[in-house]
Amino acid sequence: MQNASNRSLADQFDPRALAALEGLDFKARYVMEGFLSGLHESPFHGYSVEFSDYRNYQPGDDLRHLDWKLYARTDRLCIKRYLLETNVQFYVVCDTSASMGYRGSRAWETKLGCARIISAAMTWFLLNQNDAAGLIAFDEKNETRFVRPSSRSTQFGLMLREMEKLQPAGGASLVNLLTQTARLVHRRSVILFFSDLLEPSAEVELYFKQLRFHGHECLVFQVLDPDEIDFPFTESHLFEDMETGARRQVSPANARGKYLERFNGFMDDHRKFFQSLEIPFCVIRNDENPWRALALFLSERKRLK
Amino acid sequence: MNFSFLNPLFWIGALALGAPIYLHLRRKQPQNLLPFSTLRFLDDQPQPKQSPRHLRDLFLLALRALALLLLIGAFAWPFIREATTVVVKESRVYILDNSLSHQVDDGFQKDRERLLKEFGQAGKETQIAVVELTANPRAIVSFGDDHAAAAQKIQQLQPSFQRGSYLAAFRQANTLLANSLGEKKKIILLGDNQENQWADNLNTPAFLEDVEVEIPKTKSTARSNVSVSDARAERIFLGDKSLVHFTAQIIHKGKFASAKMFLRVNGQELLAREIDFTDKGENIVFQTEWEAEPSLQLSGELSVQAEGDSLAGDNNVFFSLAPVQEGKVAMLAQSSFLKLALSPEIMRGHWAARFIEPTKVSSELDANNDAEVLCIEASYLQSSDARKLLWRYLSNGRGVFLMVNRVNPSTKGFLKELGFEILSPDPAKAGAATFQYIFANHPVFHPFTSPDYGNLLEIKVIDPVRLRSKQAVPLVYSDKGEPVFFQNLKQPGKMFVSAFGFERAQTSWPVHSTFIPFLDLCLQNARPADTTPTSFEPGDAFAQSFPTNSTVKTLLLLKDQKELDRAPVRNGKAQLRLPDQPGLYRLVCEGGVEPEKIISINPSPKESQLIYAAAPPALQAWQLPASAKSSPAVQTKTMGAASFASIRQQRLWWWLLLIALAGLFCETTWTNIKRRIA
Repeated sequence: MQNASNRSLADQFDPRALAALEGLDFKARYVMEGFLSGLHESPFHGYSVEFSDYRNYQPGDDLRHLDWKLYARTDRLCIKRYLLETNVQFYVVCDTSASMGYRGSRAWETKLGCARIISAAMTWFLLNQNDAAGLIAFDEKNETRFVRPSSRSTQFGLMLREMEKLQPAGGASLVNLLTQTARLVHRRSVILFFSDLLEPSAEVELYFKQLRFHGHECLVFQVLDPDEIDFPFTESHLFEDMETGARRQVSPANARGKYLERFNGFMDDHRKFFQSLEIPFCVIRNDENPWRALALFLSERKRLK
Repeated sequence: MNFSFLNPLFWIGALALGAPIYLHLRRKQPQNLLPFSTLRFLDDQPQPKQSPRHLRDLFLLALRALALLLLIGAFAWPFIREATTVVVKESRVYILDNSLSHQVDDGFQKDRERLLKEFGQAGKETQIAVVELTANPRAIVSFGDDHAAAAQKIQQLQPSFQRGSYLAAFRQANTLLANSLGEKKKIILLGDNQENQWADNLNTPAFLEDVEVEIPKTKSTARSNVSVSDARAERIFLGDKSLVHFTAQIIHKGKFASAKMFLRVNGQELLAREIDFTDKGENIVFQTEWEAEPSLQLSGELSVQAEGDSLAGDNNVFFSLAPVQEGKVAMLAQSSFLKLALSPEIMRGHWAARFIEPTKVSSELDANNDAEVLCIEASYLQSSDARKLLWRYLSNGRGVFLMVNRVNPSTKGFLKELGFEILSPDPAKAGAATFQYIFANHPVFHPFTSPDYGNLLEIKVIDPVRLRSKQAVPLVYSDKGEPVFFQNLKQPGKMFVSAFGFERAQTSWPVHSTFIPFLDLCLQNARPADTTPTSFEPGDAFAQSFPTNSTVKTLLLLKDQKELDRAPVRNGKAQLRLPDQPGLYRLVCEGGVEPEKIISINPSPKESQLIYAAAPPALQAWQLPASAKSSPAVQTKTMGAASFASIRQQRLWWWLLLIALAGLFCETTWTNIKRRIA
């Protein structure tokens, strides 16, 4: 049997094994632990509870943080301050528009399913590191599902339950999702944004700019299906838009060239835009392993800490 | 109801047909449909249609085309005029009068022959229907019926003894015409134009619209006739004798000098005599009496025969009288006259009296051994037990004979509960008074119309209690205008109330010859008894109710020993249609202990009135005036449309519709199977 640490990262991800697992919890652990076991340098640096400094006690302060020893020595009530207070909150923001429900013949999961597993894996990791993680998404009735960031032990279960409820539905909702995010996230936070970004970009760009302006760090994971990237169809079909219901009769042989040209142009625009805002951007294909996204995530987390 | 595109039935039908077709087409999924997420990067490239287009499924196409064609054909069928299609010019309904009065001079047979002749002569452009006028007018021939079968039905009709209603027959004919195709609509009355038929329904609102009516031309205004009707037999108990008092009405119209009369009872001829009509009115009330055993069931017939009589069917009248069963009467009274009258020496076989001791009323209450009738004096109503006893009798449907001999405050209150108000004595009306006005038609007093049983007007009452009631019917008034005898109708049980007690100080009645027969009749009427009538008209419906604990399963109608009809007892009720022939019939309960009953069937006396109308005003009243008729535009529209009834009668229409629906069903099934295979 081959040792896990000796295998390449790609070898350690088996979509069939992932599909066989029931529950988002196991899938998230499978993805993250598989990924971590392949790394030479452990990302688990331990949670620092290092003492920082003192400040005077104010009425209303939690008595648990009083330094009683100092009080015994100096007869002064002082509150201990830790490095913990400088920690960052993480928000998983997930797009649930109908287009996220697409799953081509080569994919191992729908785009939303893929985003769900990866975001759950990241959440598991964050909570293990005592970081606070929360969730913002829309449900099928287009109502906001919001989980306030927390690092409690029950948070992971809460997040998973909410994530499992997410279903691809409705029309374009990316702008609304960004609006809600801007409204709900006040403190400086890290936003892990999962979407296919297949919506007209002018307004979307405006809201990303707004988020950056408010001082939030964003990580954008664009989830795409290989069918969308290389348009592999050969036979003529009546294509129906998953969000608007519009139909177009298309002969792929004639349309492929123009499609790829437009799609690549669209992707280039995105890349340039996110570069201009210094937003890390990563494309996740739902037919490949998600290591690239996780590597980006870990490196960014390290940087932010 | 006319069939047009404005008819709601049409829209319901169209919806019923259209909905499955719409659903079928809606369910059809376009082929090669591919949901995709990045449609915004694709341009629409509509493919040019290939010509000629290849048919993929010929069977499916054929089924659909067939279903469509059949649907069109089905809806178009009533409107298609083929070379052989006959345009109906006239719709005609004959009303064939088959009532007793039309038996005069074989009127019915003659009209039946005329109808058959006209039925044969009528061409295909004339629709004919026939309504038989009997107690329940019915369409014996409809517009769509086969001519040969219809003629046979008409031929089989026999003269009846029933009385029918012209109005009901005209209404039925009008309903038939409303669903007819003819441009001209006509009702032809084949009858005798009896005047009372028209006069009875003179105030009926108009209902004939655009219908021509033809009535027979009467040759004479009246026909001579002798008839007998309203036979009534009652038992009178005179203390030592039990008599049957019989009355009947003999009517003679025309030049009759005399008539022979026969009275037969239980197979024996009791009377055969000639009546002289000279100097006598047209209506003669015949009265007679004979002695008869109370336990004997009586059934008889009175017949009258006269020369020159036009109608023989009304010359007999049948009657029956049930045997008397000894009744039980409980008495809470001090009147010695009443006690004597109800003693076994006098009332043996009629009434068995039980005297309740005033001190033992409470034990009577507990014993729960009620008689059929309670005779009680108002003075005992001071006792609450006596009041409870009286209420129990009434609420259980038993009879009460209350004598208001004395009044005190507690009695007054209780009488108020019973619906009687007691007025204070009027000095002007004090003293003795005699009976003045008597409800002679009431069964208690009807026999006293015969002077043989004594004169009720001789009876005196002294200072009767002044009673008033809104619930009770006064049966006797005194000459001072005070009601002195009542019947209360509000309670389940029957109650007779006298405003006086039966003591010499209060009335002279106990020593009058009418007292014993009155007391017997009063108690007989008060006792709970079967209230089903025993005299009917031909063709009437008979309904008999049975108590809940009855075991009767079937009710049989017999004539002599021959069974004519039977009806099962359902939910304690049985219903029978009585026969057409007058006579005496037996009703036997099968599976129960109920005694058999004899009923009499006699023709309606109205059928004996042979007076005819030449131009009945009722006919004009029944016709809708021109202003009330529908506007010409609407009329033209409805005339052009085929009637729903006529479409319903066309079998081909139904077949086309059925096949079309079957085709659609097959097509749907076929498509589903194909989809599953795919």
